[in-house]
Amino acid sequence: MPLVPVPKSTFAQKLKRFFMVDLLQGMAVTLGFNIGALTDKDAVAGKGIYTEQYPKVRPDVAPRFHGAPRLNMDPETHETLCIACNLCALACPEDCIDVIPMDVEVVVAGKPRRKKVLDEFIFDTSRCMFCALCQEACPTYCLELTQDFELATYSRAGFVWNREMLEQGRETVKYES
Amino acid sequence: MAILAPLNLVNDLLLRLFSEPTVNFVIWPLIQVGLVIVITTGWVAYATYLERKISAFMQARLGPMRVGPWGLLQPIADGLKLLTKEDFIPENADRWIFFVAPYIAVVAAFVVMAVVPFGPDWAVITDVNIGVLFVLAVSSVGVLALILAGWSSNSKYALLGALRSSAQMVSYEVSMGLAIIGALIFARTLSLSGVVTAQASNSIWFFFYQPIGFFIFLISGIAENNRAPFDLPEAESELVAGFHTEYSGFRWSLFFMAEYAAMVVVTAVATTLYLGGWYFPLVYRLTEAHGWHNLYVAISVIVFLAKAGLLLYLYFWLRWTLPRFRYDQLMDLGWKWLLPAALINIVVTALGAGVIQGLDNQAGMRTIKSLASGLGLTASGKVIAIVFGFGNLFLTAGILSLINWRARDFNLKKQRRKIRLVDVPKGKPAVVPVTSE
Repeated sequence: MPLVPVPKSTFAQKLKRFFMVDLLQGMAVTLGFNIGALTDKDAVAGKGIYTEQYPKVRPDVAPRFHGAPRLNMDPETHETLCIACNLCALACPEDCIDVIPMDVEVVVAGKPRRKKVLDEFIFDTSRCMFCALCQEACPTYCLELTQDFELATYSRAGFVWNREMLEQGRETVKYES
Repeated sequence: MAILAPLNLVNDLLLRLFSEPTVNFVIWPLIQVGLVIVITTGWVAYATYLERKISAFMQARLGPMRVGPWGLLQPIADGLKLLTKEDFIPENADRWIFFVAPYIAVVAAFVVMAVVPFGPDWAVITDVNIGVLFVLAVSSVGVLALILAGWSSNSKYALLGALRSSAQMVSYEVSMGLAIIGALIFARTLSLSGVVTAQASNSIWFFFYQPIGFFIFLISGIAENNRAPFDLPEAESELVAGFHTEYSGFRWSLFFMAEYAAMVVVTAVATTLYLGGWYFPLVYRLTEAHGWHNLYVAISVIVFLAKAGLLLYLYFWLRWTLPRFRYDQLMDLGWKWLLPAALINIVVTALGAGVIQGLDNQAGMRTIKSLASGLGLTASGKVIAIVFGFGNLFLTAGILSLINWRARDFNLKKQRRKIRLVDVPKGKPAVVPVTSE
């Protein structure tokens, strides 16, 4: 056991200790927080309340947050914007997107043609790492990662989203405030 | 007074039904007891709510918010939860003692409320002329409950918690009792109502005569209640939950209630002894002088509860500011600092009272006004007493540092170092390490 020299406390330090300055400083800190919590309720800087009333009050996520995927639709015709080009599936580093197209007969300039349209869209959120490369790849701004973060389900199968879920969004319990 | 006129009506009604002694000595006391129990229970319930809220605010949280507006119904929800929980008893527990211990704790905490003067006249249940002794005696019974609970649980954590709490309570009870004596020298009575009237008729709080006594009483009160930073008997990090480790459900909630009720008692007694109790300047002139007796009593009760509430806030404030003491620090504070300080306080206060008496009628000076209720001092007498009280702070500081300045010499580490350094050159280990030969 090496000997550790303990410095002798100066008179000022002794005085500080005797009048319990450190204790009073600590109490001032807690009192400051108490008063701050009572006066400015949603202050972020300094001495406000930091916690959120989550199910009642939706938290503000960061602007660049990527959450639940969504397939956007044409706001006028309510038809999907997806052209089944498969670029998102190719862009995905995790292979979690399956675009299943189908052929439909259309008449273009009087001639019968076949057109590839979207039949089913499978998005496995359990494997997704929310990098939003699919969103970058989408030429029609159809696939988008929204700011919704409530992705939990009761089974593994629930993580696999089909076209309907992607277009309508999933139903979650909404709490009244 | 229009608001409190029904009181007289009720009195008339009761007088019609019963004889006068029955009304005065049975019915009204029972009503008072009921009221005090209701008020204390509500106060205890909302003390838990306040504690949770204040702790939350101090940690930048919101605290209970869901049950009712601002979580105001949380204590009721808690109570219902605890009532419906399983009342679990360990297999090898001493069943009867295990059953009885929580009740002892609650009774010891609540009975003291009988002598606490919430206000003048009808706001005090009974004015026992040894009120202070009664408070000290009964609140010490609370220790018994903790020891019984810890022992009967047949669990090592509970037993350790009980042992700690008994040692702690015994050591702080001494300085608590001694700290009170200083105030009693000025009050000249042991009745709690008498202490308040002594302060009221002198128009001064004994805090100004007895700053040291007040602080000693407060610190040992916190230690008595096993509250942080002295909550060693239920130190979560070491003893799970201390003496109530094995308790659950309603029995546990009784211990919980007892703890908060004991806190309320200590704050009430501290208010009575040092902060003037229900006495507040000007209240008398504004109400009683106009003949509004019942309003006077009501305002006094509110004043008393406000003062006690401020002290209670101090409890919460300290709990969420300070970390827990080590056990040796706890004993060190109790025996080496608080006890000598309390003894010095008694001596100095007695000296002060002696000086005041000696100066009375000397060279035309008047220090003592009357001895009718308490030590009635004139302005000059008050100045002398206050000078003695606050000068005592510095005297106590000096004497305590004299007593304790070599306290480190008893430190085992230092002793070991001294032993090691005998005949050994500095910096070399005393025991030569065994090297390979």
